[in-house]
Amino acid sequence: MERIAQRDQTALAALYDRYAGMLSSVLNRILRDTQAAEEILQDIFFQLWRNPSRFDAARGSLPGWLMVIARNRAISRLRHRNPAAGGELSEAAAVSTVNIETAAAQQQLIGRVKGALENLPAEQRAAIELAYFEGMSHSEIAQRTGDPLGTVKTRLRSAVESLKRALHAQAASNR
Amino acid sequence: MNAHPTREEDFDLYALGALEGDEKQAIETHIAQCADCAHKLAAARGRMALLSLAAPRVEPSSAVKRRLLAQVRADTEGDVRIGTSPVNSRAMQSRVRGSGFFTGWRTAILVPALTVLVIATAWLWNQNRLLNIEVAHLGDMVKTQQRGLVAMRDAVDFMESHDTVTVALAPQPGQPQGAAHVMYNTKMGMLMYEGEIAPAPAAKSYELWVIPTDGKPINAGVFNPVTGRADHWMMKMPPGVAPRMFAVTLEPQGGMPQPTGPMILIGHA
Repeated sequence: MERIAQRDQTALAALYDRYAGMLSSVLNRILRDTQAAEEILQDIFFQLWRNPSRFDAARGSLPGWLMVIARNRAISRLRHRNPAAGGELSEAAAVSTVNIETAAAQQQLIGRVKGALENLPAEQRAAIELAYFEGMSHSEIAQRTGDPLGTVKTRLRSAVESLKRALHAQAASNR
Repeated sequence: MNAHPTREEDFDLYALGALEGDEKQAIETHIAQCADCAHKLAAARGRMALLSLAAPRVEPSSAVKRRLLAQVRADTEGDVRIGTSPVNSRAMQSRVRGSGFFTGWRTAILVPALTVLVIATAWLWNQNRLLNIEVAHLGDMVKTQQRGLVAMRDAVDFMESHDTVTVALAPQPGQPQGAAHVMYNTKMGMLMYEGEIAPAPAAKSYELWVIPTDGKPINAGVFNPVTGRADHWMMKMPPGVAPRMFAVTLEPQGGMPQPTGPMILIGHA
């Protein structure tokens, strides 16, 4: 990031090579629109070039911050297509201590996250995927699935607890 | 400050965007006042963001990187013009707004420059007009001088020619006194008069005649001498004329087609 701040284009290209695939995947998963996903992907890296100081290394890892931004941008675009679904999401501060700065670390963590999700009961996995990849709230998920609101809240909370345990173990193993 | 969230998972649920209504408002109110919980929320955001890794892998097309780097190069060069993102559009709009031809510093430079250009053009146009007049005048002078040179060369040739004959004109008794001579060259068809004679009486002029061997006298010039100054001129003679004599007569002012007055000077060829 220091090299990018010094206007080193090769540093930006290297950063793109490292994280573009990861960000492109989540953007396509949320938007299901390749062109829109690529526009946001390009814009994220261009914004990083224009304003590298927006990333504060003291508050977490760069890939974690990029993933938060990518997800928020995609959900924002998704909701812009359907204004009745809600307002814009903000790019709030995000801290991630996991190590995914190398391709090997990425693959290892991807395996852990996918494993943790697959280990969830189907209803919990479906609920958390609707929340994360489609930006739905409790009541929106309940409306989509037809389940009672309380049930949805319980499923999501249980899913989050399970994921935290799995990802905490991953973070601990990387420290 | 309202109470801390009772369960840690509330931060994760908020980060997911699942909370709504009072639950969401409670978190937002609290983290605005509690730095510790704000940090917990940031950690929850980072944690939930890892769910992105569960998305099926989709590599972006190579065109994205190419466009990005072109955009970066253009940005570095201060000319953002490539790409399709809103950022580019805004940059382009900004540049279009700032690119009016007569805006800002360009006006400060171009208006005085154009004024100077107009003044310089007008000055140069006038200079060109004056130069053209002078060139035309010089051209006339050259032509006059050329004609003079031709006349002088002809005079020299005339005077040096062996065919040129000089005839002295003698004054006649009882007439104004004077002396003159005529040089002529029938081959060249030229005649030259040079003489000094008393001024003509009022309303009178002198007139030189070529009296050929055959035919009527031929007018060879009308003149009004000024005291103390000689008269001289050259003229062409009609071709084929063989002079027999030359005479100066006193005629009414302006001359006559044929001699009518007394002979003042006479010379035989």
